Amino acid sequence: MSRRSERWSPLLAARRAAVDALIALKERLPEDAYRNPPTAVGYLLLVPALVLVGFLFVGMLLLAWYSVLTFDPIEILVYELTLENWRRLFATTGYHVIFLRTIVLTTVVTVLAVALALPYAYLTVRVRSAPLRKLLLVSLFVPFFTGVIVRAYGWLIVLGREGVVNAVLGVFGIGPVRFLASEGAVVLALLQIMLPFAIVMIAPAIQNVDRELELAASNLGADRLATFRRVVIPLAAPGIAGATIVVFTITAATFAIPDLIGGGRVDFVANLVYRTLFDSGNYPLAAATSVALVAVTSAVVVGIFRTIGSGTLGIRRGGGGG
Amino acid sequence: MVAVADRRRRLRALLRRLPGEYPVLGAIVAAQVVFLLVPTLIVLVASFQGGSVIRFPPDELSVQWYAALPGEERFLAAFYRSVLVATFCTAVAIPVGIATGLGLIRYEIRFAGGIQLYLLLPFTVPLVVSGVVLLLIFRELGVLGQLWTVGLALAIINLPFMIWSVTSRVNALDPELEHAARNLGAEELQTFLHVTLPALMPGVITGGLIMFVLALNEFLVSLLITTPNIVTLPVLIYTSIRANVSPLVAAVASVYVLAAALAVLAADRLVGLEEFLRS
Repeated sequence: MSRRSERWSPLLAARRAAVDALIALKERLPEDAYRNPPTAVGYLLLVPALVLVGFLFVGMLLLAWYSVLTFDPIEILVYELTLENWRRLFATTGYHVIFLRTIVLTTVVTVLAVALALPYAYLTVRVRSAPLRKLLLVSLFVPFFTGVIVRAYGWLIVLGREGVVNAVLGVFGIGPVRFLASEGAVVLALLQIMLPFAIVMIAPAIQNVDRELELAASNLGADRLATFRRVVIPLAAPGIAGATIVVFTITAATFAIPDLIGGGRVDFVANLVYRTLFDSGNYPLAAATSVALVAVTSAVVVGIFRTIGSGTLGIRRGGGGG
Repeated sequence: MVAVADRRRRLRALLRRLPGEYPVLGAIVAAQVVFLLVPTLIVLVASFQGGSVIRFPPDELSVQWYAALPGEERFLAAFYRSVLVATFCTAVAIPVGIATGLGLIRYEIRFAGGIQLYLLLPFTVPLVVSGVVLLLIFRELGVLGQLWTVGLALAIINLPFMIWSVTSRVNALDPELEHAARNLGAEELQTFLHVTLPALMPGVITGGLIMFVLALNEFLVSLLITTPNIVTLPVLIYTSIRANVSPLVAAVASVYVLAAALAVLAADRLVGLEEFLRS
């Protein structure tokens, strides 16, 4: 064993000593325990993640239980079972409107985000120029890493009464136009938040599309659009399915954009839950509303699973080849 | 201003270059680049506003709001808490992610499909519901209002990102390499430390970076489970925006844009941005 290329360093020596000590420790164990690691080790490795996610799992049960408890304005929670919260949820038109708006606007945002993500992801993967690819990646990740609140603030500055768009319109003698507190503004801002998610989900799928197949299609006389539609999109379907699911679930639960950009006029279910929780302290009704939101989004996700498959959300097994 | 001119120049270069390869696609994507960047970078421009009202074009340029930052103890404290929370979240997520990735892919696990579905729960449960759920649990446990609960909550809701990053690497790692190391006389532990772990590193770095940045930015769950004493920076920015759109908040928010740019730079240096687009 030659160590020609390595220089002696205290850090390296300490590390070797530590590893040696660990090995010595390990060798005291019965040989079987490490020679043929039992599957138990595999299950043991999963325990921390199972426990962490368990918070949500147990919490969902807790939520379902809260949803049938009684609300009292003074005592807040009374441990008496009731269906009053559910009755109220189903009987109030105002709640229906908010649920319907959430689903419709979320669908619009999801379709637009996935449609726009396809060309972006495709170009990012396929473009030959390295600086151009870098520009596309940076324009994707800087907003992605900037977070929803800062970008909501950015949209307030862009669309506000004295904002950028109105300043531009003012040059032409138009306006000021009120953009904020409209459904269009909420969709626009949400689209900017969700687009990076969709691109990140779709790009790997496009990376896996064999370039030769595209060349074959164009050799057979398909133009670019036809190649994109008939070859790239079907092969990238798993990524598209994954993107659709992720964008839909995140958008359906959105709070900040409807609150800040919608100004209380374009409330989503999340805004309703927040108000129920903190304005009236009605935990049982907030729980029932939350359970209803889970039911609605799950139904949509299952629908997507059925039509285009689980997509990239499944973790694939197998060695070699990424 | 230099940055804006630079961007414009690069955009023009981009448009000039595009027509050759993908003309229509290029035009659509160039519009998307503007759409993605403008609302993000506008905060930087607004933070140099001279007056106390954000207005376009700005009355005059000044750095007064940045000069005021060190005196803003509320914002500084919230920023410190956000960093603390993000660090805690990442420190929890990394070992859990590595263990889960190895467990799921290297061992014969029964009901692996079901377990994977279960581990996706943080993504399939709507974020606002996760927030309510964690609020109820922490309330029942009597730990609501302690800062570590926020870090734990963020580790839970973003865990799938970490697991994904690691599993894609475990998948890509050729088991033959580990066999080779063993055949050459390496101990199992040595094999793990010198072959397995280094091969997983890009996935761990990618996942860790994503966890940290997402935690630094997380808003909705934090809004639900923080009490006034432990608000994190995004929550404080939110309440400040609701109060008034002062350029001071723009200066605070700019810190986030810079942090995001730094994170992107770090990601590019450490693993290459392309790594984030791998399956």
